[in-house]
Parts: sequence; structure tokens; C-alpha cells
Amino acid sequence: MADVTVIGRGANVVGRVSGAVDLEIHGRIEGDVAVEGDVTVEAQGLVAANISGRRVVIRGAVKGDVSGEDAVRLEEGARVVGDIQAPRVAITRGALVRGHVQTSGSESSERRARETQKAARPAPATARPTATAPAPRKTTTTAVGASQSHVADGMAKVAPKGPPPPVVPVLKKGAKGALKKKAG
Amino acid sequence: MASTVIGAGITIEGEITTDEDVVIHGTVRGKLQAKEGVTVESGATVEADIAGGALRVAGTITGNITSSDRVDLQSGARVIGNVKAARITIADGAQFKGNVDMDT
Repeated sequence: MADVTVIGRGANVVGRVSGAVDLEIHGRIEGDVAVEGDVTVEAQGLVAANISGRRVVIRGAVKGDVSGEDAVRLEEGARVVGDIQAPRVAITRGALVRGHVQTSGSESSERRARETQKAARPAPATARPTATAPAPRKTTTTAVGASQSHVADGMAKVAPKGPPPPVVPVLKKGAKGALKKKAG
Repeated sequence: MASTVIGAGITIEGEITTDEDVVIHGTVRGKLQAKEGVTVESGATVEADIAGGALRVAGTITGNITSSDRVDLQSGARVIGNVKAARITIADGAQFKGNVDMDT
């Protein structure tokens, strides 16, 4: 049971933060954040660093890559410029992302992906209708765009797309064009 | 109520600048500059120069301390470095090696 480390609102850290703790960032960090616990970037937090933790929740601004052992969750107010990598990624309404989002690439997720591969085949068929449904919502949030991930209602929807052939198969050429037309 | 708490088990290598008070239970290497008070709890290791307001030390500090207010070394504190402060107390049981400059 680790204490929570709080980087307060007026704090400014230039350097490397590491440890087996949970981290709550209300201030500014420049450098590197690599902890083995949960990381929360609060609304006033400004992080110019790569973040890596177990479960990462972002409600503030992050310029850097974000990688979670377990999950990464971007909530309202999140502004991320950088790549996101985690077995489970959630981007909720109000979050802004610009970067590459990847839900595969770690061993645990590959194992999970292999197990869900049988389930994954019918999944793209069902995922396509959901791809168009959230699109009107998506335009208000990820206007910044090169984001490849869907606004997922639950993290589970993202997992079936997990298997190493990346997210692209779900976004067939037609779907992306349809999304762009709706955004326009 | 905004203070920075550096929990036990965390290591920060770099510079910390804050205009609030700081409580350190973990490890800080580099430089620490606070406008308000700094508390170095027992078990904390600070290998940095510290500049701040009122300082309360119960842990280990290797570095120079500059305070605009007072410095209290409590029992269990180990300080290797110079202290520059207007007021200082060194409790019984604290270890200290360095210069003290109270002429501000």
C-alpha cells in the first residue's frame, strides 16, 4: 500500500520521477515519469514528459508518450499530444488526443488478444455499426485528430480489436470516409 | 490546501521548485526550492540543496540548507551540509556536520 505522492499545484519538477507509488499531478513536470503505481494527471496538471505507470488517468495536459501497464484513461479536459500505449485505452467525451494510440504491443495484451481472437472475428462486424454511431459525438472531442481509437463506451470494446493486426482492419476505407463526411 | 507530498518509495531526480509547502517522505536528488515550509520526514533522503521557508528535518539531508525562516533539526535527523538560517534548533539526537550561518 503505497502512499500517494502529490505534486501540488504550484510545484514545478524538472527531472525524473520514479518509484513504486501512486502519483497525483496537479502541477508541472518536465522530464520523465516512470512509476509502478497509478498516475493521475489532474486538470491543472501540465506534464511535458513521457508517463509510464500501471493505470494512468489523464485530465490535464500531457506532452509526451503515455504508456500504461494496465490501462490508460483520458477523461474530460485531457489534452494529450503524444502516443498512447496500453492494453486498455479509454478516451471519454471531452478528451483531446493527437498521436498514435496502440492497444497492443505488450506481452500480457498479446496473450489476451490470442484468447479473444475467436471472439474478435465477429467483433469487427459489430464494431462497425458502433464506429458510425459515436461519430457525431467524436467530432466535438477529437477534433485534433490523427487519433485512431474510437470513443469507447467500455474498455472491453477496444480489447477485441487487440490482436496484432492493428486497429486499421476495423476502420475500413469506407468507414473512415464516412466519419470524415460526418465531421465535415 | 495545496501542498506537495513526496511519498515514501518515490525518487525524484531533478529540480523541484514550488511555491507551496513540501513534505518529503521519499528520496529527492538534485535541488529543492520552496517558498513555504519544507518538512523532511523521518526516513526521507534528500541529496540536494534545499532553499525554503521554515524547515523541519527528521530525515537525512546531504546538501546545503538555506532558509528564510527557521530550521529545526529533530531527533533522528542527519544533516551533512551548511545551514544558513536566521534561527536554528538542533534537538538532542540529531546529527549535524557542517557550518551554521545565522547572519542574514
